[in-house]
Amino acid sequence: MTDNLTPKPVHRVRGVDHAAFPTFDPNATVRFYRDVLKFPVVHSICAAGWGPEKHPDFIHFFFDIGGGDRLAFFYYFGWEPAGDQEAPGDAWARLPMDTPVFFKNSRHIALNVADEEDLLEYRKRLDESEWPVEMQVMHETIESIYTHDPNGYMLEITRQLRPVTPQEDLDAQLTIEALCDVAAGEHPSMDQLLNRKAELIVERATDWEQPQPKELV
Amino acid sequence: MPRFFVLRVPENEGVVEVAANDPANTVDQVGPYARVSAAGPIVIDRRATGCRHAVWYSAVAGLQDSHITQHDKDALRVEAR
Repeated sequence: MTDNLTPKPVHRVRGVDHAAFPTFDPNATVRFYRDVLKFPVVHSICAAGWGPEKHPDFIHFFFDIGGGDRLAFFYYFGWEPAGDQEAPGDAWARLPMDTPVFFKNSRHIALNVADEEDLLEYRKRLDESEWPVEMQVMHETIESIYTHDPNGYMLEITRQLRPVTPQEDLDAQLTIEALCDVAAGEHPSMDQLLNRKAELIVERATDWEQPQPKELV
Repeated sequence: MPRFFVLRVPENEGVVEVAANDPANTVDQVGPYARVSAAGPIVIDRRATGCRHAVWYSAVAGLQDSHITQHDKDALRVEAR
């Protein structure tokens, strides 16, 4: 509850309510999320088609992905997938045949786990299923496992190796400002970005000090 | 004069140490960044840094009037523009 003395913050959203994707294979989708990963089914909507456009009847169903967040699917009765099903892509869209894997996989969902034990538990569940882990990668500050769900969506499960530090928040702000600057110009490149970012570092980072924890009032 | 920045986080410390151990380089601090400068090209040996690949390829935070002429599994080379 707030009053006039404690105005609400500018940043008020509270995480993912749900992210939604179409599926043409509800059986495999339920096996993958409910039976293999053991994500509880927490909500569903059985809806007759309605609205101004021709809309098929559909089922909208939700899996609990922890933290109060949910992953949801639509199954549309009588609706067929579009495009060449051999082409790179997923249940939502197919891409041109020569689309590289890095681009196809750039759109993905990543779920968080607390520690290595939990990461390896999900690795075990997947490896014992029809959808084994495709790769396990130690990134800069996270370690992740990856697979594709039955709909072709890439799923990442990740653990943080350490908390993100305040200097990394500053670095991210400078990176994004440099990116927006060079992306507005012609032929943006990493070289341009790193040179622009160096200017911003000299301007903004010189007097930066480690934020101190706020004193309790 | 080639100059590049590295953010001071634990994963990048190997890069900063290798740079600082080479007497040809000067390392100073700009806020939370280390800035590596030298009269001639700066070369950092990846294996000496101990960085794993994901860290190695994202360790450069900025290039001051410089450009990267090599950044592969062996070395990072930064030269003046």
